[in-house]
Formats: sequence, C-alpha cells, structure tokens
Amino acid sequence: MKIIVVDDEKIVLDSCRKVLTSEGFDVEIISSSDEALKKLKIEEPVLLIIDVKMPGHDGIYLLKEVRKITKSLPVIVMSGYHTKETINESTRFGASIFLYKPFTPEELIAAIYKVIKKEENK
Amino acid sequence: MRKFLSMISSTHFKLVISLLGISFLVGGISIIIGGHLLYKAVLKEATDRIRLDLNAAHGVYNTQIKYVKGALNITTLGEGFRNSLFKNNIPDLLDRLNRLAQNAEIDFAGIVGSDGSVLCRIGPNSIPEDKRKYENPIVMYAIKNEQQIAGTVVLSEKLLKIENPELANKIRLPQQNVQKETEPIAGLAIAAAMPIFENRNSGKLYGVIYGGILLNQSTSIVDAVRKTLFLDDMQQGQSTLTATIFYKDIRIATNLFNPNGKRAIGTIVSPEVKQRVLLDGKYCTIQDFIVSDRYIAGYDPIEDIEGKRVGIIGVGVIESNYSNVRYKFIFIVVIITFIGIISAVVIGYILGHRILDPLNRLIKASQEVSAGNLTPDIGTLSHDREIRFLQKTFKDMFESLKQQRAESENQLVQSEKLASIGRLAAGVAHEINNPLTGVLTYTHMLLRRKDLDQEIRSDLQVVIESTERVRKIVKGLLDFSRQTELDLEPIDLNRLVKSTIALIENQALLKGIQIDFNPASELPMVTLDRSQMNSVLLNIIINAIDATETGGHIDILTTVELSTDDAAQKGVKIVIADTGSGIPPENLDKLFDPFFTTKEVGKGTGLGLSVSYGIVKRHGGLIRVQSEVGKGTKFLIWLPIEKKMEVINENYSS
Repeated sequence: MKIIVVDDEKIVLDSCRKVLTSEGFDVEIISSSDEALKKLKIEEPVLLIIDVKMPGHDGIYLLKEVRKITKSLPVIVMSGYHTKETINESTRFGASIFLYKPFTPEELIAAIYKVIKKEENK
Repeated sequence: MRKFLSMISSTHFKLVISLLGISFLVGGISIIIGGHLLYKAVLKEATDRIRLDLNAAHGVYNTQIKYVKGALNITTLGEGFRNSLFKNNIPDLLDRLNRLAQNAEIDFAGIVGSDGSVLCRIGPNSIPEDKRKYENPIVMYAIKNEQQIAGTVVLSEKLLKIENPELANKIRLPQQNVQKETEPIAGLAIAAAMPIFENRNSGKLYGVIYGGILLNQSTSIVDAVRKTLFLDDMQQGQSTLTATIFYKDIRIATNLFNPNGKRAIGTIVSPEVKQRVLLDGKYCTIQDFIVSDRYIAGYDPIEDIEGKRVGIIGVGVIESNYSNVRYKFIFIVVIITFIGIISAVVIGYILGHRILDPLNRLIKASQEVSAGNLTPDIGTLSHDREIRFLQKTFKDMFESLKQQRAESENQLVQSEKLASIGRLAAGVAHEINNPLTGVLTYTHMLLRRKDLDQEIRSDLQVVIESTERVRKIVKGLLDFSRQTELDLEPIDLNRLVKSTIALIENQALLKGIQIDFNPASELPMVTLDRSQMNSVLLNIIINAIDATETGGHIDILTTVELSTDDAAQKGVKIVIADTGSGIPPENLDKLFDPFFTTKEVGKGTGLGLSVSYGIVKRHGGLIRVQSEVGKGTKFLIWLPIEKKMEVINENYSS
C-alpha cells in the first residue's frame, strides 16, 4: 500500500516517512508539486498527503491537477497555516481530511486510517 | 476689484447698507408725505387767514364810509350851518365845507338845493355860474328819497370834471389796458349825502350836503388795511400783504407793486375772479400769479348804494411766505436724514463688529479645526446671549471632536497593534509548525521504543509537553491572526450558549462548579460567525471556571437590550458572571491586550480575551467587564441585531 507525501519541508517529509513506515506503509516522499504530478502518472498510490504552502505550484494546485487524473484517489491536505479559503478549496476538490500541523504520530495515523476505512466502506 | 466685490458681499457691508436704506426710506417718505401734509395744512391756514383778512379789509372799507358820513353829520349839526344855509350865506357855507374837507381828508363835497342845483362846492369851481341840476348819484338818491345815504358810488369822468378837474385826472390810468377801452373808465368813491329839512328832521326838504373820497389812486384805505392787519410784517420791513380796490375788474387803488416799483394800478384781475366775484357776487380765494409774484388772495365784491356790484376789494399774501415753510421742513428732514445716515453707518459698523467679530473668529476656528488643530482660539465670550450660546456650542463641539479623535486614535492604535500581531503570528505559525511536526513525530517515535530508561522516557515526556505548549501558543496566534474573517449566519444565541455550556460543563462539574443558564424568552435571531462566537463564549467560560473555586457557580443569561450609544439600535446581551477571585482594578484596562495573562506560565497564552475582544468588535458589538476582587467577575457581551443584516446583504450582493 503506497502512500505519497508531498511537502517542501524535509523535516515534515522525514517525520511522515518515519511514522508511516513504522505502520507498515510503503512511503514515497516528494518535495514539489510538479515532481508529484510526474510521479502520479506512473504510480497509483492508495493515498496522497500534500502540504498546502509550497514554493512554485502549491498544494491546492496540485490537488486540482490530481483531480484531472483521478477522482477516486483519497487525499489528506495538511498545513501549518491555513485560511478559510484553503480549507474550502480542499473540500471542494475532494480532500478527505484537513490535517493541522503540527501533529503527533497518533494523529497522523488516525487520519490515515480514517480515510482508508472510508474508502473500504464505499 | 476682487477686494471690492468681497467687501460688498460681506455681511458687514450689507448691515450698513440695510441701515442706510432704512434711513433713506424714512427720510424720503418724511419729505414726501410730511412735506405734502404740512404744505396742505399751511395752505389751509393761509386761506383761512386770507378770509379773515378780507373781512377785516372790508370792515376798514365800511368804517371809512361811516367816517365820511359822520364827518358830514357833524358839519350839519351846528345851528350856524343851518342859519347860513337858510340865509343863503354862501361864503360861510363854503368855508365850512373847506374846513370839513381839510379835517376829514374829503376829496369832494358840496351843497345842493332841493332841486339839485349846486350852491357851492369845494375845489376850483366852488360857486358855479352854471346852476344846472347836478346828477351826482348819491345826491340824487338823497333828494329822491329824502333821507341820508352813505356808500360806494361810481362817478363818471364827466361828473368828476364838473366836481373837480383834478379828480378827473386821477381816474386816468398810468398803464391803461388797451382792451379796456370799450368800457369807459370812471371813478369809484365812497360818499355820503344828507338831506337838510326846514325843521331839523321834518318839514320841507331844503337842500342836500354831500361829500366823499375818490378811491382811484387813493392810498389811504389800502394802506390802512395793511397797517391794521400786518403791523408786525411792516415793522420787520416786509410788505407781504397787499390790499387792492378794483373798479369793476381794474385795479384803481392798491399797494401791489409791479416789477418796476410802481403801484400796479390799471392792471386787471383774472377772468376767474371776475366771474366769481364781480358777476356771481361771491367771496373767493385763489392761488395765482398776480402781477409779479405768486399770491394767495381773497376777493369780495363791492356793491354801490343801489346794490349794484361795481367793484372788488381784495387782499393777498405772497405764497412763498408759506411755501418757505415747506422748504424749511424739507431742509430739516434732510438734516435729520443725514444724521440718521451717519448714525446708520456708525451703528452698523459697531454692531457689525460686535456680531461679526466673534462669528469670524468662529469661522476661523472651524477652519483651524478642519486643518487639524482641535484646540482653536474662539476668542472671548460675547456679551450677546445668542452669540455666547453659539460660541459655547462650538466649544462643546470642538471638545467632543477632540474626545472622539482621541478615542478613534486609541482604536486605531489598538487595531494596528492587533493587525501587526496577526501578521507576525501568521508568519511565526507557518515557520514553527513544520519543525514542531518534526519534534513531535521524533519524540513520540522515540517513546515507542521499549528499551528506554525511565529517566529518558520522562525527559522525552517533558519535550512532548513543552512542544504541546508551543503548539498551543502557535494555535492561539493563528486564531488571533484569523479573526478578520467572519462567516455570518443567523443564529439562535440561546442554542449557541447551551451547546457551548455542554462542551465545558463536565470540566466545571469536575471542579465542583455549577453553571446556570437563564435564557431570554423570545430572543431574536442574531447574525454571527458561529465558530468564532463559540470560541469567545468558550474562552470566557473557561476563564470563569479557572477563576472560581470549588463550590462556586457561574451564572449565564441572555437578554434583549438597546445599544448604550444609539437607542434605536436593538441588540442582545449575554452576561457571564462568576463568583471567582475577581480582577484587580489595575488589570481591568489591560485585560484585552494581547499576551496579557495572570495565569501561571504555561497555563495561558494571553491571547484568548484579545481574540474575543476582536471577534465581538468585528460583529459590531461590545464586550465589557465588571469585577470586584474577592466577589467575582461579570463579562457583558452586547451584539447588534439589525446592523449586521446589512453586511450580510452586502456579502450576498457582492
């Protein structure tokens, strides 16, 4: 079960990889939206975790592009600073959960299982 | 030019002009109406006086007739006269007649027999050879009626020539009017005749004595009239009154002078007077140009002994005597008007300064205020009640402007402070949250290892707690930075309060604190941002719980209340009162400042109340605190009902 995490911050990427790996997931970390899009054309992860605020194309852009490729891919949007608009946009383009940074490993894992369970229930 | 224009448009100038206008108006009307009325009154007075004068003149004339008659009477009274007459002693009779003529200034006198033949007469032809019947009308009248007679008679030139050629010359007019040639000129005389009987007043008529004064060119009567009536004027060297005797319409005796200084004998009266007086026999007054001047004149007819109108007696006064009064009046009014004008200018100028100086001062003060100086000099208070009131009103206005500005400056500082903290918070949050994720993740992951010493484990626990604290602070900062956005919807405030209480009630009960909610019935819906208002309530209730000891209670109530600023603005009020420790007065002011907290380090961020304050403000509401140390604290939140509806509509339309 592959999960792709997109963030420009190495510490966040490393944290996510550490937590998810410990939970037994296959994790791929990517540091920009453009790279992530390239990757998504060749891979089919079970979950995509994206940061909102990134240099170049931001997470919301990435989310919109992803939705052009697949409607069904579950996405968790995370952010350390967000406005109402970013939350609204995320919801509109089918993000399953908005995760506030900072988060503990437990919170991240809980969010992931919540999304995956939702998918399984469908 | 511009200076001139601004001068004439100034209130000061208008004031002076208005007063001037009033002066001119009053002066002008006085001259026109007053002058006219005065002239009328004077004219009436003059006309009345002329009438009296004319009567008096007529009286003088009649007195003269009586005088002639009396003189004749005296002559006949003595026995000597009768003896001489009966004895036909002509020289003695002539002597008596001459004495009579001399003493009484009689122009002609004579004695005729009962048949009318002349016995003797004064003058050159004293004892006529020609004893022909003498046809002097007064003599004829006396013989015919055998009674004495006195009055006015007309004597033809022929008769006068017989009587005395000198008298005949007198009737020749110096400037005889050519048009009058058709009518033979004759003499007008006042005369008397007295029949003499054999036995005093009875018996056979023996003869008639007669005598008279020729009026033509006589000055005696006219000057006597003037003397009698206008003595004062004479003394002052003026000769304003004229008296005139006319034969028919021709002046024969007058003290009216023509322009070359001669008596205006021979001139004629106006046709109008001739018609009214001579032909109609009526009294008349006129204002007319006579010979050389304008006169106010009165005329009376003169009748002869047979009752025929033979002449006119008239008096006149120069009109300018009276019209001068009008000019004097106009002169005085002009002077008064002029004084009025000067007063108007002076009073206008003074009044203008008194009224306008403080006003100009106020205008200048207003300009200063709009330029930013809120403490302008409005000058000393005026003595005028209205102006003083105006000055005071301005002063109050400036004062309240000053206060308002101070307030808004305060608010501006406050919101600037909030905004910059907000920006800072956003930046900090963004930068800190990523590393915090790392810290939290790695410490948690470390803790999962089973091989750790208890000591390391508890150290890691400290790291986690500290990080949680940082997380809380950053979250507070983020909330703080995000308070500009309101997601408004109509909300039942009672329900919102209830759900907020439900969230926190367990925590309160655990501490042994009772929360009572007393909702207002029929509370209107309020448009609010649900989650923000929720956090406000939560924040205040948590503060209340923290401040209250076990056994205390928190009372919450909602009511409908009008705004304290604007009575028309309806709103709702939420009161959250606790029985806690209370807030010392010195802290009340700082309560809503960001980062102000009285909680132990680590327990509060100091942002909660300042965030709440911002949220309530943004809703157009007010948040106030009443507190007493040891007794408790009361938070009052007021939120408007209607005002926010407009904002919502705006949101929908945009």
